[in-house]
Amino acid sequence: MNQVTPTPPTGIRVAGDTNVGKVRDTNEDSLILEPARGLYAVLDGMGGANAGDIASQTARDAIRDFVIQKRLAFSPKQLLEAAILAGSRAVFESAQANRERHGMGTTCVAVLVVDKSHVIVGHVGDSRCYLLRGGRLQTLTRDHTIVEELVDRGLLAADEAERHPYKNVLSRNLGSRPDTKVDLLELELKPGDRLLLCSDGLYGYASAEGIQYILGSGDEPQHVARDLIELALRGGGGDNVTTIILEAPAAPPSTTQLVRTNGAMAWWQKRQTFLIVAKDRGLTRNPIVRGLDPKDALDVVALSLCQAVFHDLEKSTGVNVWTFAQNLASGWFERGGEWSAVRSMMDILGTASRAVVDEIKVADGKLGFLLDVAVSRALVVAELALGGLLAERLRQVDTDLIQLHTAMHETVDAPTDDTLDTGERFVDRPTIPFLRPDRPVTGAGVTAEVIDGITKTITIARARTSPRAELVKEVLTALDAIASEGSGNFATAVLSARELYGVRSVDEQGIMPLFDALDQARIVIASAVHQIQTTESNRAKVLRALSVAHQRLVSAMTGLVLEAVAPFSERLREIQQTTSDLRDEVASAERRRAELERRFATNIDPSLPWGSRGTTEW
Amino acid sequence: MSDVDITEAVAVLRDEVLDTVEHGDRDPPGAEVFDAVLRALTVGGESVPGLDLALHEAVSRRLAWGDNEEVVLADAEMVFDRLVVAVERAFRDPADQMVVIEAATLVAVTVTRVVSLAAVARASRDRAARLREEMAQRQLKEVLEKQKANIVRLEGELKSSDFQ
Repeated sequence: MNQVTPTPPTGIRVAGDTNVGKVRDTNEDSLILEPARGLYAVLDGMGGANAGDIASQTARDAIRDFVIQKRLAFSPKQLLEAAILAGSRAVFESAQANRERHGMGTTCVAVLVVDKSHVIVGHVGDSRCYLLRGGRLQTLTRDHTIVEELVDRGLLAADEAERHPYKNVLSRNLGSRPDTKVDLLELELKPGDRLLLCSDGLYGYASAEGIQYILGSGDEPQHVARDLIELALRGGGGDNVTTIILEAPAAPPSTTQLVRTNGAMAWWQKRQTFLIVAKDRGLTRNPIVRGLDPKDALDVVALSLCQAVFHDLEKSTGVNVWTFAQNLASGWFERGGEWSAVRSMMDILGTASRAVVDEIKVADGKLGFLLDVAVSRALVVAELALGGLLAERLRQVDTDLIQLHTAMHETVDAPTDDTLDTGERFVDRPTIPFLRPDRPVTGAGVTAEVIDGITKTITIARARTSPRAELVKEVLTALDAIASEGSGNFATAVLSARELYGVRSVDEQGIMPLFDALDQARIVIASAVHQIQTTESNRAKVLRALSVAHQRLVSAMTGLVLEAVAPFSERLREIQQTTSDLRDEVASAERRRAELERRFATNIDPSLPWGSRGTTEW
Repeated sequence: MSDVDITEAVAVLRDEVLDTVEHGDRDPPGAEVFDAVLRALTVGGESVPGLDLALHEAVSRRLAWGDNEEVVLADAEMVFDRLVVAVERAFRDPADQMVVIEAATLVAVTVTRVVSLAAVARASRDRAARLREEMAQRQLKEVLEKQKANIVRLEGELKSSDFQ
């Protein structure tokens, strides 16, 4: 019997299935699938003379009727508890009324769906509720068996419980008494969560790993319910087996996925706009495409970039745009073309891109925003590729200039004093050991407006700093100097860091106060920058300048720490070398001693074997 | 401030900031720093302990695999520089830019703190190792003295036995 329910209004998908198994003749399990009320339950009846199925069916009907009739009279948690207790009373009264049914009872594990992310789980007996979240399976219920109670009270070890003869004897059920205690659990569902309600016919004959594998397979709930039963049957099928699967709605696609699918498609659909804007802005008159038919020019340049951006959006990469920019510019430079033509071309393409993004933004604001970021990234990648080409050309010019300069020195201005030549020129030595050669050493500088903002921010930050926090104030002063200087290089930062560092012990007590002060300064500045009277755009520039300064300062400070700890390693290496030399010397002496002993022994008695005299002392 | 999740928007800049084009399938240098920025944006506000722990683990892993502190620091610096530039270009809203820059600065300070702590810890280990080496040297010198005495004794005995 396979029952699949229609999707309830909460969006939670549910399916249930039950099977008599391979050994039993009757199915004593029952299940409730009531999507209209959000009620789902598995009941496993027990008792001789066909009483087991009567018990589970009696409880099932009573629970379902109670929820339908009284759903407005209770809160969800109270409703589920009262419904299960009503089921227990119904079974008890039925047993009292009929002598043959004496002793019958049933387990019950039930779920009441409150909304799409909120459910109540109630249970009595050893039917279970499992939760699969993020691929991990966990049991939400604890079996009400004598053995489990003993384990809970510390009277039985967990491994002994596995082998205990009473491991299946229930300590609680519905029907043996009119009232029983119901365990209740409120659960918040996360997108994609799966709940499994089952009787012991499943977990008694299927491994937890198998259950986890099938539940996490991603198959439709009705297939999962059926496959779990199949798993139990393959494991022996010694008992009736019943399963119900509840699946919470999946999470909406992430913004990255949105850009990859809808964003890429929207971009490609607007390619005509891109071509029109590119043409209007004069792409076909650019020197790079001189001699080409206007349509070919648009196809070769504008449509190619469109295509490259489309593929990069689809794959969240930048390789296509990078290649496009490299091919476009390197070919042009090889022909002796000027940089201004490439710059103008990139500006036209940028304008066309913005036009496309703006059109998409009108239709779908969120998608437009994401696309704006993604397309800007693509254009930045193109600019980086061009920057790389330019840097290559500049390096060549630089090399040529140095050679020229050296040649001039050798011929015209030969050194007269050899003692001045130390063999290493100042420019050969990096200011900071970890400064990368490809890292820009100068920035664009800062405007007077930004410097004014920096000063105001630091003033507010100083005012908000505790008078006793001298180190924090010194850091703020240093940041003011570095940020206002604005070159973005390390020189000012290194000088400031040296002043702040002073003389310190090379351990946590010595170093950490510095970093605490740097962190404190960061927090105060982040707060102070919002209090200066200026435009939002200028405020962002001020924060940027101060953050770059902060980064330079902490890096320089760490450079000093590394400089301070370096001698420890060097000294260790030196002393290790001395130890190694000593060991060699000892080994050599040992060989010499052994040789002497051998000769000595041979002198006394030539028949003695080599090394038979004397003992090694270490 | 826009209504789009800034973390997701910054995640889109990953390729550009980490230069994944250059590194292909390999894990790009500074990935742990970029991920830390995303985490900082996700949690919002100040969560230094959590950030410290995750970064500490990532940085320790890199140091254990043979990268030295200077390389880790240089990568962090590169990610910061590129992220600041990329964010200025990619986000039109200055408020969004400020949120990301604050997170990037938080991570920059945390990385340097973690690297400094690692360096100081290494210095302590080096100091302890040096003490052990000095003790070993003392023992070796004692052994050497005994060996030299033995050698002198044996050479003397050998001369006298040759004579006999």
